[in-house]
Order: sequence, then structure tokens, then C-alpha cells
Amino acid sequence: MLLLFDGIDEPGLSTLPVYERRGGYQQLRKALAMTPEDVLADIGDSQLRGRGGAGFRMAQKAGFLPHGEMEKYLVCNADESEPGAFKDRELIQKNPHALIEGIVIASWAAGIDRAFIYIRGEYAYQADILEAAIAEAYEAGYIGERILGSEHSVSLVLHRGAGAYICGEETGLLDSLEGKRGNPRLKPPFPAIEGLYDGPTLINNVETLYTVPYIIGMGGKEYAKLGTDTSTGTKIASISGDIQRPGNYEIEFGIPAREIIYGLGGGPPEGRDIKFWFPGGSSSPVLTKDDLDVPYDYDSLAKAGSMLGTASIIVVDDSHSVLEVMHKLVKFYAHESCGKCVPCREGTNWTLKMVQRIESGEATPMDLDIMANVQTHIIGNCLCVLGDAMAMPVGSMVEKFRQELEAEIEAARARAAAGSAEDVIPIGVADEHAGPVPVH
Amino acid sequence: MPRPEEKIIQLTIDGREVKAPEGQMLVDAAKEGDVEIPYFCYQPKLGDPVGACRMCLVEIEGIPKLQTSCSTPVKDGMVVHTHTERVHTAQNAVVEFLLVNHPLDCPVCDKGGECPLQDITFGWGLGKSRFIEPKRHFVKPLSLSPVIAIDRERCILCYRCVRFSQEIAEDYQLIFAERGAHTFVATHDGHPYVAPFSGNIIDLCPVGALTSKPYRFRARPWDIEGAGGVCTLCPAQCNVEFTVRDEKVMRVTARDPGNEGVDDGWLCDKGRFAYQAMHVDDRITVPLVREGGELREASWERALDAAAGLSKHQGRVGALVGGQATNEEGFLIQRLVREALSSSDLDCRVTGLSGELTRTLAAPALQATVPDVEFAHTVLAFGCEPLDDMPILDLRIRKGVSRHGMKLVVATARPSALDSNATRVIRYDPGEEASVLGGLADSLREAGEDIVIVWGERVGPAAAEALLALADQLGLAGRDGAGLLEIPSGSNGRGLREAGVLPFAGPGYAPVADAGLGATEMPDGENTAYYLFETDPVRDQPNRAAWERALQRAGLVVAHASVLTEGLREHANVIFPADTYAEKDGTVVHPDGRLQRLRTAIAHPHEVRAGWRAVAEIARRCGLDVGVLTSPMAFAQLASAVPFYEGITLESIGGRGVRWQEGEGAGAFPDLGANSDIDRETSQTSGPTDEAPHSGASSNGGGGDGAPANGGLRLGTYRPIWASPEVEISPSLQYTIAHQQAELSPEDAARLGIASGDTIEVSQNGTRLSAAAVVRSGVPEGTVFLATGIAQDSANALTEPTVEISKP
Repeated sequence: MLLLFDGIDEPGLSTLPVYERRGGYQQLRKALAMTPEDVLADIGDSQLRGRGGAGFRMAQKAGFLPHGEMEKYLVCNADESEPGAFKDRELIQKNPHALIEGIVIASWAAGIDRAFIYIRGEYAYQADILEAAIAEAYEAGYIGERILGSEHSVSLVLHRGAGAYICGEETGLLDSLEGKRGNPRLKPPFPAIEGLYDGPTLINNVETLYTVPYIIGMGGKEYAKLGTDTSTGTKIASISGDIQRPGNYEIEFGIPAREIIYGLGGGPPEGRDIKFWFPGGSSSPVLTKDDLDVPYDYDSLAKAGSMLGTASIIVVDDSHSVLEVMHKLVKFYAHESCGKCVPCREGTNWTLKMVQRIESGEATPMDLDIMANVQTHIIGNCLCVLGDAMAMPVGSMVEKFRQELEAEIEAARARAAAGSAEDVIPIGVADEHAGPVPVH
Repeated sequence: MPRPEEKIIQLTIDGREVKAPEGQMLVDAAKEGDVEIPYFCYQPKLGDPVGACRMCLVEIEGIPKLQTSCSTPVKDGMVVHTHTERVHTAQNAVVEFLLVNHPLDCPVCDKGGECPLQDITFGWGLGKSRFIEPKRHFVKPLSLSPVIAIDRERCILCYRCVRFSQEIAEDYQLIFAERGAHTFVATHDGHPYVAPFSGNIIDLCPVGALTSKPYRFRARPWDIEGAGGVCTLCPAQCNVEFTVRDEKVMRVTARDPGNEGVDDGWLCDKGRFAYQAMHVDDRITVPLVREGGELREASWERALDAAAGLSKHQGRVGALVGGQATNEEGFLIQRLVREALSSSDLDCRVTGLSGELTRTLAAPALQATVPDVEFAHTVLAFGCEPLDDMPILDLRIRKGVSRHGMKLVVATARPSALDSNATRVIRYDPGEEASVLGGLADSLREAGEDIVIVWGERVGPAAAEALLALADQLGLAGRDGAGLLEIPSGSNGRGLREAGVLPFAGPGYAPVADAGLGATEMPDGENTAYYLFETDPVRDQPNRAAWERALQRAGLVVAHASVLTEGLREHANVIFPADTYAEKDGTVVHPDGRLQRLRTAIAHPHEVRAGWRAVAEIARRCGLDVGVLTSPMAFAQLASAVPFYEGITLESIGGRGVRWQEGEGAGAFPDLGANSDIDRETSQTSGPTDEAPHSGASSNGGGGDGAPANGGLRLGTYRPIWASPEVEISPSLQYTIAHQQAELSPEDAARLGIASGDTIEVSQNGTRLSAAAVVRSGVPEGTVFLATGIAQDSANALTEPTVEISKP
């Protein structure tokens, strides 16, 4: 079933003429002929859930926006920074107009006349394409004043980030967009009530908004027939790691994970077996090969103890140690923690030091208990979910691969004791680079 | 905006029924039920909570996740638990996390013993840590500024100091650098954090990361005592706490919580650090008598005998009282001058407002309070620079604008620090104050009827008339939440006037039969002797040359002073050592009418005696027994002499003060009857009501007619926040000692070939001052601003409206 990816590889699709020839912006015409309430109801009927990770129903979120005369904003979150996630990149690169069309329809439905796209700075190539597409859309009158002669006016500004994972967190993104240091804000108030420049703000992921024209095209009720009861429609799954055919695949919700990893991705390399896999990006608790038959949708994965997240499957085969993956993961989150709240700032930093100590042969199995316990102290106690994003997978790794980790500890201790210095990874003091800035 | 109304609701915390105002944060409401919830980043003074430290997590029934109680407004029927297993686990966890990078060196930390992190670790922590990895290291301590040391290893990144800098003082100097566990508090490019309110971050810091350089390692919390007091270094009269050890003030901090009616819990750096003037060698601590042209140390007996010459003197005595004198001292001095010296040449002001104007402007119905400044619809700052004249009011105005959407109109000759917060800025030429107020009424009324006009005593009589007319037009009299708030030039200017230190009125503004000379007339009068109580007119009064001549001419000059300033060094015959605000016992009156009490925090050092006692002694030797054996006795006399102080006692003033306008005696304020109405009508019609004010934008092109005809520049003056003898002798404030600065417009600077930092000469009729040029955008073309009140090259040497500028 191809919906979002239908014709995605057609040459020139990123340009307006090709997009229009394929029926582009027809859904916008259709939506503008409807009342905003009807459009919102249609999106509601589709039961479209946010594709950025949290899976909140889009129409419900849009419904939280207060009515009346005030500055409201729509922000498209294109700060795709989750390790393992690269779906938005392909969507923007190959079919930027579908995203623009979705933004214009969503802003009509929610009564918004100012929209922003916040794209991560590293997506420079995609940002250039998107910028050109926005210019084309302005030129053609799909964005701007009284779009296609309707009552609807919306402006659209593309903003490039400067490279921080935390700016993908919706409130951190808002601060960054306002020109401040990108730190998450305390919630409540939620962005729908008090967001960008303190105005009500609808924030959605690229894929969510990209899906909107397709919903308008086929009708929300029809769309809801795809997938499962609670996870309707289709989803772009990004498969990476130890896999034969990595890439983005559009899947219908509810198919078994095995079908994605083996059927679409071709499974791990010849002669290798899956050790574990992240079902929804690096921040989802890991599942093992015993979980491969879990239906791939929001609720089934939650029931299996993990989450769908951004639907970014990272496969790890038996050629890699758990510790190695854990080290990379923890280093990433410790590096990206903004430092605003205590459990995340200190918890990620502490966990990294513990992992490094295991590798240098200075840990005992008791440290695994501390590590697991520290993760529980992070989960649920933080200002935003970045801390949880490290603590959940790390917690799951310690729980599911305790034996292997204990063996690693013993092996590292033995190496250290044997004094084979070339095998010992030095303690991560090199990370302590934040030198003082002298004050004169 | 009008103050929001409070609705009381009920909630349950740890099984206790607690009543609290709806919307109050849970952490505060819990205190009502004697439940203490620990926190670091929360500080209501700083505005909206940030929820960063996660220390205040509690369980609320019906909400699955633990909630930060600092950011959860209470609702009716809420059920809260702070002592469950889950909450304890979370609290232990946060303490453990906080100590991951915090050095455990409390015994050598200056904060030890008064450290919230220490207290909370003991109260809510597990008592042990499982963290055995290396902690982060920084070079420490570093100077964040000349008065603040920063220890970044101890910092728990609670956000308080950075929020203060960005959201309260709005100086935007403190920032976070780096990220995650590498985050540290810094300034842009490592510049020192020099700002008028910087010291507040020391009070705010919940750990030993930010410490006061003059205080650190001078005392331990267990060998100090706290003494509540009032800072009288400026009219703001902030409520402070003196940290006292061995009869010495070691430190000054804001009281916690602050006095909402006065300072809102903040202090300026002058108030925080100039206490050092109490204990330096430069302070006068013994009486001085001039002998053979030299001031020499003398006994009190000798000095008093010499001072008794005031009554034996042929000719009139003129008396000036400085702003730091208490009401009691002012009251006794006016008795001394009137009863024993038979003179009415007595003043505490720097301008010559008429008796009627003075009284009318002080009428209770017209007075705004400090909180009114925050909650008004519109505030007009007229002829004053709050940052210099009454610093803490600057923060209050900023708060009104940023938190309550208050509209601010700034009408000043000199660019103001508040310009960027104002919805409208009006610039006028120095001396043209009176011309801008007419026609302002309609635009002031746009946002609402609650209008507060903050104005400076220095605006002068014509502007005061226009001000009164504007107040009439706006109907400010009797309106709650609106009115006038005068910033007097002396700290206790209001109290001294009410005590009768005026040439035309006795205590309570009671008119006297023969009005004497005021401060502006005195130097040109017939006085042959002067009595100067805690003031040096050569520095404090506008016309330096005239005062130098007058003091030179005088046969006897008796002074009370704690610092030997130029005029006294040259001309005083007798100097009594004056006591300071930490030593005084007495009362002062805040500009909004709040009587506040100074209590003796430390003993009088060396041979210093209480000011009231010295005055009483002098009076006795001049043949007047004032009948006062203690300061409270003097207050009793004062209170019975001032009708509108009726019912106010030292007890009722208490620790937070009481506004007499809200007391039972307020109705006894002298009513000027029908006459005043006529006068006010006259002033309204004769006032310059129809003249269009110069708007900031248009006057920038040259104030209408550019530079004055003779080629010079118009002279405007201001008194910088740091202009005070106390600052000059405080060791750690030496970095603030301003030499004369001439603020020039970029246009004039370009025309004259002057750049910022150049040394220039300012001259007028043969008087020459040396100044450093400061090119400041916003200064109107054709005008130069110079500082007064400073030790050298003060602009009060210049009395004509224009000056010549040259580059030597």
C-alpha cells in the first residue's frame, strides 16, 4: 500500500510543475472549499496520530487552540535528529510541496495565518529544496494572501536550526525559533495555549502534516480504514543498522515487525542473527528477536514494553556487543542534554561515566545495579523527555542483557589486570573539555 | 493593571486542610499547612517558575506523574502528598544528582551553615552517594565582577542568577555557556558582570557559587547576628539586614522576604556594599575642631563648647540638614535653630519650592505608593532617573511593564535607562521641564485611569506647578492606585520636611510667622554662621561657588559628618562625628509616606555619639533644654507636633513600616481651603498647557533649534547612583568611582572631533572642569550632561545654562 510514497521517485517531483501534474494542490482547493471545521472534522475522522514520536492525535491537539482574534502559529517540526530517523529527510527532499500543501490545509483548519518550518541545520540540502519549493508556492499563490481566492491567508517561513537534538523537543524548538537558547520550557502551559511568542501554537511533525493532503484526498473515514483501530493509516518506517536493505519503507500499521525487518529490509547480513532492535529510534527500549512478531503499531509496541516513536528501526546483530551500543547511545544523550533540569543533566553524565568505567575495567557487576537504579531515578522526573530517552533504552539493555554485560565487566577487568594497555579504553576524561572561561 | 482579586480555596496536603489563594503555587500554599517542600530554582521574586531543579516534586491525586509543586497552581479540593515513598525516592534522587558535580567541601565553603543545598541534603537526601566518578573541575574562584566571586564547581545551575540578570535587572549580562553537564554561568566574552543590581545574585545563589568578595571568609554563620535595618543611602530606603560580628557590619543583604511596600526584596549595589564606609580609617570618629587653620582631634567637651558659639554669635545662623538625618534629628535641629538660635534659615532641600506648592504636592490624596507603580495602567517618569535617584524603583517599574503590561512614559532631559521599556519617550531641553506636561493628559489616560507620576525634586518650581495642573486634569487626587510619587533629593527628604526642616514651616507643615531663607537663597543671604548636619553644601547643593563664598565668609561653621568632604575640610570650624544608619536609632519617612524605623545594629564606634544626642547637647549649651533623653522621646515629641502622625507609635511602625496616609491622623493634614483651589486654577490656566511637547524622535534632530546661539552646549546635570561619600571610601566600590563624564550626542561629538574616552575641558565664565567624553546616542544634539554630587569636577560649579567644550 503506497500512499505517502506513491510516485515519490518520479524525477522532478520536488518542483511545482511535476507536483501539480500529479494532482498536487488539488487537495488544498478541496479543503478551501470546505469550512475549517469540516476540514478539522475530516482530519479527526482519520484519527491521524502525530508522527514525531508522541503519537498524539493531531485533530485533538488542533482542537486545544483557543478560538477568537489572536496571533496563532503553526510550526512544522523538521528538526529530525533522533538517531535512526531519516524519514522526514526523504519526504522533504523528494516531495516538499506535499508538506507545504499539508501546512496550508492545516493552518486553514486551525485558523492560523503564520506558519514556520524549523529544519535542522544539517539538512542544508533539503532546506535548499524546501526553500525553492516555498518560493514556487508563493509565486503560484498557494501561500500568501487570500490563497486561491479564498478567505485563507498564511505566511510560511523556513528557519534553519544550528544543530541541537533538544531543539526537536517542541518547546525547545519554540525557544530556539524565538532566537533564545534552545531549552525546553515547563509544561503546562502547553504550546497549544501558550507557544511561540506566547501565542497559541500548533506544532506537528513533517510526516504528520505531509499526510494531511492525502487524508483530504481520500476522506478521513476512508483513511481510518487503513491500519489498525487505534493506529490508522500508513507510516514511513526507517530501517537502519545491521540490515541488508536499509532505507525508508511505507508500511501499513499492524503488520508484524518481522515483515518489515526481514521482508522489506532483508534481515541482517548473511550468517548473522538479530541480537536486539530499537523499534522506534534510539530512545525506545530495545526488543529482542523474540519480539519480532509484535504487530508494528503504537499500542502493540507499547504493550511489548517499547514504543513506536518515530518508527525508526535500528537492528543490531550478534556481531556487536550491548556495551558498545550502550556507550554510543549514552554518549549521544549526555552530549545533547541541555543541562536545564537536574536528573537529565547529571543522570546522563553519570551514566556515561559508569559505562566508560565498565570499559576501562574498573567496574563490578554491582555497578549495573546502580546504573539500572539511576535510570529509574531519571524516568518521569525530568522537565522534558530527553532524560527518559536515554534512561528507557539503557534500562532495557541492562535488564535484558545483564549476563552479557556482567561478562563484559569481567573481561574488561581481566584485560585491565593483565595490563594490556592497548586494549583498555581510557576513562572518558577527554570529554571534560569545558574549560573555564576566565573573567578579567 | 489593577491588582487581581484573591479567591481563597481549600486543599489537602499530607492530610492537613489548608486554605490558600487560588492560583498560588503549591509550594507556597504548603507553607500554610506547615509543610515544607524543598526547592532550589523556585523564587517567586524572579517571576514565572522554570521547574529546572526538580527538587519540589510531589504527588497529586489524579495525576499519574509526580508534579513540580513550584509550578502547580493550587485548585480547590486538590489532594497532595509530600511524604510518600515515591516522593521520597524522587527527592533522594534529585539530591544525589545535585551532588554528582557539587564538591563536598562544606567545611571550607563560605556558604556553609547558611546553605540551602546543605540544609536540603540533610533534610531530604539519602545521606550517602553512590557516585565515585571524577567531578567536573574549573579554575576557582574567579572574579565575576569586582564585588562577586564565582566558584563554578559549586554551581548547581539553578538558573536564579541568570534569570535575575535577564528578567529582573534586564541587563542581559549573565548567560549559560556550553550545555548538559558542561554548562556554566558566564558573561558574554568573559566581561565582568558590572551592573547596578549585580549583588542580588549573591543573595539568590542557593549554594556557595556566588559570594560577596568583601564578605567571603570574614565570618561564619554561627558567629554572626542578623539585625534588621533600613538603608538610608538613597530615598528608596530599602529594608536590609545587617550581618553583624563583633559590633561591626560585615555584610548587608536584602531581607527575605522583602518588603513589598518598599523594595520587593532587592537591593542595589550601593546599598549592598557601601556599608564598608562604616569601618574604614577615612571615617570621622572623633570630634574635630579647627585650630590655627587645621582641623584637630578634640574632646566632645571642647567641640561642644565651640559649637555653643552658634548662640553667642552676632548675626543669623543658617542650617542645612542632609538627607540621611532621621526625623528625630531633623525635629530637634529645627527646635535648636528656631528656639535657641532664633533663626528660620533652615532647609533640607536643593530647590526653592514655595510653602504652598510643597504642601499641596505632599497632600495625602495625591500620594501614590510604591506598589501602585507596579500595578498602574500608566506610569510617567518625569524629570528623574530612577536608576540613579532611587534605584530600586527602576526595578519596580520594569516589573510593572514586563509582568503586568503597564505602560511607561518617560519624560526626561537625559536619556533614561528605562527608555527601552517605555511606550513613549519625551525629551526636552534641560530646564524646560515645565513645557512638556501640558497636553500629556489624554495620551496618559489611554491605557486606563490608574496613573502614577514619578517625579524628581530637582524639576523645580515651574515644573511642579505644571505637574499639579496635570494631576488635576487626570483627577489623580483621591484615586486609589494612582497619584504622585516624588523622589526627593535627600534620602529622608520627606520625613525632614514633615519634621519641620523647612524655612517656611514647622513640624507638620505648620506655617511659621517669619519665613526664613531656604537652601537656594541662603548662600546669598546675611548668614554669618552655618550649622550643617550631615551635609556639605559645596557638594550637595546646586551652586557650589556661592556656597564656597558663603562658608568662607562665615565666622563659624559647625558640622556633623562621617566623611570629611571638601567643603567641610576647607571651612568647618567644628565637626562632630556623625553616626551611620546602622548605628542610628530613629525613624525616617519613605517618599510614599511610609514611616520606617532605624534600629541600632552596632554600637557607636570610638567616640561617635548618636546624632540626636549631639543635637540635644548643642541645644543645651545654647540654652535650650529639649527634654529628650532617648530617641523614642524625641519621636514622641515629633509625633505630637505633627498632627497627621496621630496614632503612630514606634510599635505600630514595627519592622515593615506604616504609611501615615493610611493612619487615623491623615485627615489632619493641613487643609489649605479655598485659597489653594484658586491658586491651582490659576496655575492651570497660566501653565503651559497648550504647548506641544518635544517628542523623543523629533527632538533628536536638535531639540528644535539645535545648539544655543553662542556656540556652546546646553548643560544638563544628573546625580549618578555612585555619587556619594560613602561609596568613595568603600574599598570594594573603588571601581565605581566616576570621574566627571560628559555625555555628548554623536552629532556634537562628530562636530567637535571628540570620541568616547577623550579627556575634554568643560568651561563657563572662567570655571574649567575636566571630563571624560562619553558619546551616547539618545542625547539630544546641542546638550551635554554632566554629573553632580561627585568629589571632583562636579557640575555644580557651573551655574549658567550653557557651557563651552574644548579638547585640550
